[in-house]
Amino acid sequence: MAQKFSWLRRFSFYFLLIGIWELIYLLRIWPPYLFPSPGDVAQSLWGGLVDRTFLIGTWVSLKRIFIGYSISLAIGVALGLVVARFKLLEETVGSLIGVLQVLPSICWLPLAILWFGLNESAIQFVVIMGAFLSIAIATDSGIKNIPPLYVRAARTMGVKKLDLYLRVILPAALPSILTGMKLGWSFAWRSLMAGELLFVSLGLGQLLQTGRELNDMSQVMAVMLMIMGAGLFFDYLVFAPIQNRLRRQWGLVL
Amino acid sequence: MHLSIRGVTREYKVREGKVAALQETSLEIQSGEFVCFVGPSGCGKTTLLNLVAGLGKPTRGEILQDGRPVTSPGSDRVVIFQEAALFPWLNVIQNVEFGLVGRMEEKKRREIARTFLNLFHLGRFERSFVHELSGGMKSRVAIARALALNPQVLLMDEPFAALDAQTRGILHEELQDIWMKTRQTILFVTHNVREAVRLGDRVLVFSARPGRIKREFPIEKSRPRDLEDPTWPAPYIQLVQNELREEIEKVLQQEVDHGWKLKKAEFLRPAGVDLGSGI
Repeated sequence: MAQKFSWLRRFSFYFLLIGIWELIYLLRIWPPYLFPSPGDVAQSLWGGLVDRTFLIGTWVSLKRIFIGYSISLAIGVALGLVVARFKLLEETVGSLIGVLQVLPSICWLPLAILWFGLNESAIQFVVIMGAFLSIAIATDSGIKNIPPLYVRAARTMGVKKLDLYLRVILPAALPSILTGMKLGWSFAWRSLMAGELLFVSLGLGQLLQTGRELNDMSQVMAVMLMIMGAGLFFDYLVFAPIQNRLRRQWGLVL
Repeated sequence: MHLSIRGVTREYKVREGKVAALQETSLEIQSGEFVCFVGPSGCGKTTLLNLVAGLGKPTRGEILQDGRPVTSPGSDRVVIFQEAALFPWLNVIQNVEFGLVGRMEEKKRREIARTFLNLFHLGRFERSFVHELSGGMKSRVAIARALALNPQVLLMDEPFAALDAQTRGILHEELQDIWMKTRQTILFVTHNVREAVRLGDRVLVFSARPGRIKREFPIEKSRPRDLEDPTWPAPYIQLVQNELREEIEKVLQQEVDHGWKLKKAEFLRPAGVDLGSGI
């Protein structure tokens, strides 16, 4: 099949999906307040955008994730670096990271609420717990998988200590760190939504919850679309270009 | 610059105690010399190169550079590895100026990098990514990167072993040209006796297990040498090869089985052939 028609196939698929949805709606298997039509959802989405509740919600959520994710990135990369560098930390802290990684980040919410109260810090805490571990793990393993030859070559050219980390080890581990960042981003996004669902906080998660409380299924679905859209936006417009550029530079593209 | 290797032993820990990769080796290298190390695998030639580079420490003995002991790697002793070891996150010119970063301003180091890149006729590729280069081009960039640092000694660890014969031949010519221009001191490790004889002022044959320098052959042929000409190196190659054959056999016997034997007599002492001891 020709590559150039791939968008057409994809488009037809989604068109078909919406068609089936509409068809099920018309069959009235479930009442409309539980199963809205695509049109209802679109209307809800439009309404939410026009009266700006969705935009404000998205803005609040994005602001949160930027703060939480930036902190996670800083902690994660730094932690991955020191764990890769010092044997003692690898055996101790490294194993703890593996243990904590098993725990779904939303499980930190009760603890966070008791520690910080029902506020911004509690949500940030959950987001950070969700993201920094996978970034730390990816950084650590990225550094351990660097061909030793790069480091030897750099050392014989007189590069040492901090310079060696900044100019050789980190750039060499970047493809792996980027994978960890992507993973961390999706963990952060999930944690944020879970956190926002659980208490009053503005943000997209809360709009979802409001939809439920008002028994407004089309709002629930419209907000779900918003959440997906925001996620896709970062996958395709932020991470994918960086990753593609890196792959071209390293010659990893076929 | 004078390099003095005095009674150097390098031991490695293995399961059954210790193994000496290099034993009681002494060697003097003058400024501007092109010295080739040949020997069977595991004879310590690469070990010696790494010790000179400062990538390892001798178990016993010492390595002196102008009277000062070598303790750590430094840009005055740059190694060129078999795999060019160029950095894929940098383009060609950034690779060449890599070692100069932080030592001079950007304009100056770019200029130096360009000079060395042009020396290898690679000016056109300065913005290329590393993976876009052929094997021979990578080797050239690696050499340019090392030379840009203006090292006192260039340590080459089988730099052309992975290249095809034609490319290797071209690089030999280029290396000879550059050596004649710069009189750069070079230590060159290789498996290839022909390569060693064609390029070196001296060829040192290493013996295996424990590794030490077994014999030294001065190659008294003036430069520029005709590297394509098979006639002048032939007697030298014969000499070195004969010396080497015994060593390779020793290694194989250890590695394969005790019953193993190379057809020693026929290879080593062809009847009626003068081994060139008069040269």
